Amino acid sequence: MDEFEFSRGVTVGQYIPGTSFVHRLDARAKILGFIILIAAVLTTPSYIGNAICFVAVLALVQSSGLPIGYLMSGIRPILPILVVYTIFNFLFLGNYDPTGSAVLFHTPVNIGPWQFAFTVTDNSMRQTIQGIFRILDLILLGSLLTLTTPITALSKAIEGLLAPFRRIKVPGHEVAMIIAIAYRFMPTVAEELERLMKAQASRGADFGRPGRLQFIQRTRQLVPVTVPLFVSAFRRAEDLIVAMESRCYVGGAGRSAVYHDRFTSLEWISLAVALAFTIAIARTPFPW
Amino acid sequence: MTEPIIEVRDLWHWYLRRTPLESVALEGASFELRPGEVVGIMGHTGSGKTTLVQHFNGLLRPHRGSVRVFGADLADPKVDPRPLRRRVGLVFQFPEQQLFDPTVGDDIAFGPRKLGLEHAEVRRRVQGAMAAVGLPFDAFKDRYTFGLSGGEMRRVALAGVLALEPEVLVLDEPTAGLDPRGRRQLLASLRALHDEHGTALVFVSHNMDEVAELVTRVDVLAGGKTVLSGTVREVFREDGRLRELGLGVPAATELAGALRSRGVPLRADVLTIDDAVEAMWTSSSSPAA
Repeated sequence: MDEFEFSRGVTVGQYIPGTSFVHRLDARAKILGFIILIAAVLTTPSYIGNAICFVAVLALVQSSGLPIGYLMSGIRPILPILVVYTIFNFLFLGNYDPTGSAVLFHTPVNIGPWQFAFTVTDNSMRQTIQGIFRILDLILLGSLLTLTTPITALSKAIEGLLAPFRRIKVPGHEVAMIIAIAYRFMPTVAEELERLMKAQASRGADFGRPGRLQFIQRTRQLVPVTVPLFVSAFRRAEDLIVAMESRCYVGGAGRSAVYHDRFTSLEWISLAVALAFTIAIARTPFPW
Repeated sequence: MTEPIIEVRDLWHWYLRRTPLESVALEGASFELRPGEVVGIMGHTGSGKTTLVQHFNGLLRPHRGSVRVFGADLADPKVDPRPLRRRVGLVFQFPEQQLFDPTVGDDIAFGPRKLGLEHAEVRRRVQGAMAAVGLPFDAFKDRYTFGLSGGEMRRVALAGVLALEPEVLVLDEPTAGLDPRGRRQLLASLRALHDEHGTALVFVSHNMDEVAELVTRVDVLAGGKTVLSGTVREVFREDGRLRELGLGVPAATELAGALRSRGVPLRADVLTIDDAVEAMWTSSSSPAA
């Protein structure tokens, strides 16, 4: 593992070309389909439904031809938070269970002035376990969407999907442009960060660990990196403004597209399948 | 012959290895630096120059092949590269972008302070480093870093590395984006550093004239491999090969070649303007054969 290779962790904002049906799907249909699938993932209250959703997401990833390990590497940075969150949910969520489900485990704890209890109920266990799968599903789906869609197609799709809301003054084009620029520059900033950390390490900076909990030291170590990072981000922003203005960019008003993509049967069928899947998951009374 | 202080053999390196975005940057590069030498690394954009030099102080670890720096084998993951970074100073491309402290003196003092040196010693090193890059200490130490000109900022950044008093100084395209005067000053500072302190220099560039002027030995990289290696005169004699690689030869060599092809009897190894002048005098004073 290389000490400074941060772009490895940034799977967001990358695009991996391919020819799978996920790649070929119109970006608007992809976004809508993913919203529908996310609804299925988030609403199912049963373990079986949860497992089915997870399998479906894995199948989708499989069909895209992307290596699942690469998609999962996007999870690594948030893994500590996920672990802590899960442990807390598991131990404490049962204390606040309003559903009155069966208590599986209850231990009061008294340490000096602190008095609390670990409680696990049937419902809190369900939420904890399902929470893990939901987060995995969301990360996989989100990565799948961005990794199989070039950023230009994604922003055009967002613009297209927001177009009906123009009547209530939603600036669809501007929103799409902001998202596109943010995504476009994420890998760039990661590269810049990498370069700066290397440069500062070359003149004596030490990004080793002075003990995990020494926040102030950790923060001070990062000053030589964050200051130049912001300086260059602002410079990049200014360059981009000049570049856009010299191409006479004035926002969305009066812009038209060269290509008008229509939904083909592929898009309609995919959306229908996604919708049917979600309704089926929501309506089936799974035993547990 | 003295032992090399940097020795690279058959070095391979991949970026984003084991991801779908994997790309190979080095495929069998080699390099050697002995104490007090001035070596150039030339190559077209994307030839792997920057990747190669980042191995010299352990910023990158070899994926295949060996890198030995001051006797430490960097392929061994247990070797801590941090002590090496004090002995091998690496100046990145556009180093002015790495400045962060509002005052010039504090920015240069960053490295020495990190070494935990005494206040007086830090001051001495900052003074020495600023003198080496031609920035007057009293006039510049309290100047606002981000208000300096591009050339001045570059010299501040160089001083920030020199303040570590490295035994080897590696510079990645140090003159890129400087005006001719800035270039001349920088090259003069580097030459003085080498002559006065015996610092070994590794100079990455694709400017043939600078390479010819400063270095004694050149390695040429292409496609991640070392394709030519030798003294400056040996390498620039291969002008056909260099042109093939998109590099070319120094302007003086080019001119001498053109004159030779028109029948002016000049020797073959003209590299700098001084060489050219000397060659012209000797050729015109000697009876044409």
